[in-house]
Amino acid sequence: MRGSRVLAIAAVAACLSAHHAAAQPKTELTVDLAADAATLDPQLQWDTDSYSIYRNMFDNLLTRDVAGKIVPQVATAWHYTNDTTLVFDLRTDIKFHDGTKLTPEDVAFSVKRIVDPAFKSPQLSQFDQIAGAEVTGPAQVTLRTKSPYPALLAQLVKLSIVPKAYVEKLGDVRFNQEPMGSGPYKLRAWQRGVQVTLDAMPDYWRGKPPFASVVFRAVPDGPTRIADLRAGRADLIRGLSPDDAEALKSERQVRVLSVPTERVAYMFVNALAGPTADVRVRRAIAMAVDRESLITALQQGFAKPVNEVLTPANFGYDADVKPWPFDPVQARALIKAAGAEGAKISFLTSPVYDRRLNEAIQQMLADVGLQVEIQMMDQPTYLRRRQGTPVEAGALSQGRWSCACQDADGVIFPLFRSGSIWSKYSNPAFDTEVDAARATLDEAVRKTHYRRALDILREDVPGVGLFQDVAIYGAKPQLKWTPTANEAFFVMDMAWQP
Amino acid sequence: MRPRVSFGIRVIVLLIVLFAAAALLAPWISPHDPLRQSLLLRLKPPGSATASAGLFPLGTDDLGRDLLSRILYGARASFIVAILSVSVSLVVGTLLGLAAGWFRGWTATLIMRFVDAMLSVPAILLAVLTVAVIGPSFVTLVLVLGLTRWPRYTRVAYAATLQVAGLPFIAAAEMAGADSARILLRHILPNIAGPLLVVATSEFGLMILFEAGLSFLGLGIQPPAPSWGSIMSAGRQYVERAWWLTVFPGLGLFTLVVCVNVMGDWLRDRLDPRSAGR
Amino acid sequence: MRRYIARRLLQAAIATFLVITIVFFVMRLSGDPTLLLVPEGATAEQIAALRHALGFDRPLAVQYLGYLGDLAHFDLGQSLVQRAPVWLIVASRLPYTMALAAGALVFALVTGIPAGIAMAVWRGGVTERLLSALVLAGQSLPTFWSGILFILLFGVSLHWLPTSGADGPASLVMPSVVLGALAMATFARMTRISVLEELGRDYVTAARARGLSMGAAVVRHVLRNAAIPVVTVVALEVGNLLAGAVIVETVFAWPGIGQLAMQSIFARDFLVVQAIVLFVSMVYIALNLATDLAYSAIDPRIRGMA
Repeated sequence: MRGSRVLAIAAVAACLSAHHAAAQPKTELTVDLAADAATLDPQLQWDTDSYSIYRNMFDNLLTRDVAGKIVPQVATAWHYTNDTTLVFDLRTDIKFHDGTKLTPEDVAFSVKRIVDPAFKSPQLSQFDQIAGAEVTGPAQVTLRTKSPYPALLAQLVKLSIVPKAYVEKLGDVRFNQEPMGSGPYKLRAWQRGVQVTLDAMPDYWRGKPPFASVVFRAVPDGPTRIADLRAGRADLIRGLSPDDAEALKSERQVRVLSVPTERVAYMFVNALAGPTADVRVRRAIAMAVDRESLITALQQGFAKPVNEVLTPANFGYDADVKPWPFDPVQARALIKAAGAEGAKISFLTSPVYDRRLNEAIQQMLADVGLQVEIQMMDQPTYLRRRQGTPVEAGALSQGRWSCACQDADGVIFPLFRSGSIWSKYSNPAFDTEVDAARATLDEAVRKTHYRRALDILREDVPGVGLFQDVAIYGAKPQLKWTPTANEAFFVMDMAWQP
Repeated sequence: MRPRVSFGIRVIVLLIVLFAAAALLAPWISPHDPLRQSLLLRLKPPGSATASAGLFPLGTDDLGRDLLSRILYGARASFIVAILSVSVSLVVGTLLGLAAGWFRGWTATLIMRFVDAMLSVPAILLAVLTVAVIGPSFVTLVLVLGLTRWPRYTRVAYAATLQVAGLPFIAAAEMAGADSARILLRHILPNIAGPLLVVATSEFGLMILFEAGLSFLGLGIQPPAPSWGSIMSAGRQYVERAWWLTVFPGLGLFTLVVCVNVMGDWLRDRLDPRSAGR
Repeated sequence: MRRYIARRLLQAAIATFLVITIVFFVMRLSGDPTLLLVPEGATAEQIAALRHALGFDRPLAVQYLGYLGDLAHFDLGQSLVQRAPVWLIVASRLPYTMALAAGALVFALVTGIPAGIAMAVWRGGVTERLLSALVLAGQSLPTFWSGILFILLFGVSLHWLPTSGADGPASLVMPSVVLGALAMATFARMTRISVLEELGRDYVTAARARGLSMGAAVVRHVLRNAAIPVVTVVALEVGNLLAGAVIVETVFAWPGIGQLAMQSIFARDFLVVQAIVLFVSMVYIALNLATDLAYSAIDPRIRGMA
């Protein structure tokens, strides 16, 4: 304990004496995130902030290009030998930061490690369809799934390759503190709660990284991140609100970057309990919400309309599904018909979700005769109730859903399939469609199933798609970067043009 | 003997009365419904007016609601939360402090160790923990604020009681056969009321700030119902773009807290027998 | 005296035990972190499996005894959210917390106490009015607002001070002032009252009658006696400065334990919250004991009463 205290004090002293390098040429990129990394072991926590940091230190089996297509990284090619067996050919020229070669053993180890129940990885449920991983050649790994699993490649985009020998030598706890990968950056220092500093690997196999070092700072308060950017303390900040973006547009020293994401803003409508158990009330709610106003006035145009609880960035999205029109008169009539006029409707939420959106929806529903009561609770309590019994879950809530897999299977399946913890809805016809779409690799067949599933959802309204969320970043004008729909944060894709 | 009521104090009393009246009469004097939104009229500056919606004297907020009406209604929430929570903690804290200071011995040890345990966890952490568990509501808020802040009164009451109890006139009263309750209420309470009142008045302001802080963390008075704290914490995102959202409730909060504190100091000077004569 | 200290320490240990027990159970009433840890698409079985793996499905009493057992071996455990030893997580924040608390305390003391004395000595004058307005300003503005105003003024517009973070003494200035402002007002008002009270006593009148100047009377007699309530308040404030600086730390991105505590409460990272509470309550109790001893040193009448 005493030694550690001395160490910690030394760390502060070091940080007090450190100063930022001069800006010509740009050697250090400073990024403001909302929080520090929870873990730097890429196979543990995967909250957006941890993810943004550690993914720069590791290579992934597969990745996505700017258009969202799955492309090679560590794997060069892949093919199915049958519905449950997938063979990957791997690169042989990748080295970890300590100079050792990245081998098929490391890839197989990375897969086995994350699916090992004893490792208790929070990401386990994304990979638990994998039954095994074997080295089947000097540059080849074969994965087996428990059943045909169409989302496998999309999930493997998130698999970072960790060094087997190094992890086994250090053990899991120390590896989390001194992680090492084969990515474009390696860890220089992790000052917990303050910042993570990464150094470039000049001879990285995909080319020289754009900045000699990158600092990820933890700045929890939004207005403070903006002040950092305007004062030149940060080069890139994440998590701007549409109003922030509007205000920053007039600043010359700041550029707003935005991209439509695979995140869908939606409203959950409880189909199993309360006044919303009546389908007429649910349809009335869908018709009472003026999504056009939400997008233009509240989101300042930083959002795209969607026709369902899914975004065009997801496989399975169908633009032909007709959303309910905004029709308050019809909505009011339906509510009257259902005898739900003045009914009290509970709207569960937590500080994580946009307060303004909640209140705007509350007003819109009040206009058609529903008395919405917003119930605020902290996030863990909210999750417990939202995922609890239909009665606990409240009638409404707002969410922003992203499976980071760009596939309908990661969205409408967990949200609405009966038996899922999120689902407060039950329709065997819908279950049949999403189950079938999950069990085949044929994309055309899957699309047909999803189209039918989405049509069922449209009639039953267990949820209302509000809009496709837009990720907004603030950056110095010199930073050249095209953010992607999956909200990946690869420094390797950025550049600096003075 | 009675100190002259100065012009300054008259002004301050008048201001406090005005605030209270505004809070009380909010439904009748508000120009608009404080909850009525208009997404097309978001963030309009003070003095904006439209033909259909009328005048917004202090502008509108980020959902196009009238700020003046929200501040008037917000005064209500802030006032009630502060008054109720201060009352709860003042009564609980003073009684325990008096008991500890007078009976000393085991009673004092028990009470003061409990006070230590309470005080050793910062009030804001206790409040957040409790609100997180129970869920935020008006009653939770008052109880949490009241029941986390009483130890301050206890400590002050305890220290003051110890001091006063050692004074000769208390011993004289005891020797004259007065019972404990009488001595506590007639002799000790008036003599320690000064410091307690000062604590109470500064706590009044702190409670309003505390509610504001909990709003900042998302756990205060729940939207869309306004309180000064929730208006300000929602408005701080627009500190430059829509300064009116923080400046007007901020001014209200500042003025009220200053007035109450000055009143407290003045009252203390009046109540304290030692300084009254000077 | 030694027996007195020993008795107080024992009482303090009981108080700490009480606190930690309350916090342990209150936190667990509000669920566990499993739901926050799993991906959004996890199934009920996957959640149950992780909950079991993390040990949160064990009876509360078993968890509690296990925790106490670890504590007895000076083992604070391992954070299930950060997957790192709790002592490491908390210890890496302590230097920052100490620095901020010290900065705020220094600011509050060097501004608050002189202001309070001045307000008492020049009671009723223009000086008092001016000072009290200034002092009260510190107590009447929400820090989440004054903080961002400071950042915009001194950081963005004037470029005098860093907008956020914790590198260099310069970045300590704004958070210290904003955090200290609240304590400053408390110190000033308490000092004013104590000094006023003492000024009204006979011995001061007597000293003045002997021809002692007001300044000399204050320095020689009044301050010593007026110190008792002020010392109490200072001790009370320290606990708040240590872990109650949640909002200031959030606004200025200062990595203290207040911010950590808040994040850990919201993340249901039980062991980290418990370790922080343990630490703060030990510091508080030590300070408290020191205060009591200071009382007896200042005012012998109090000795042995508590």
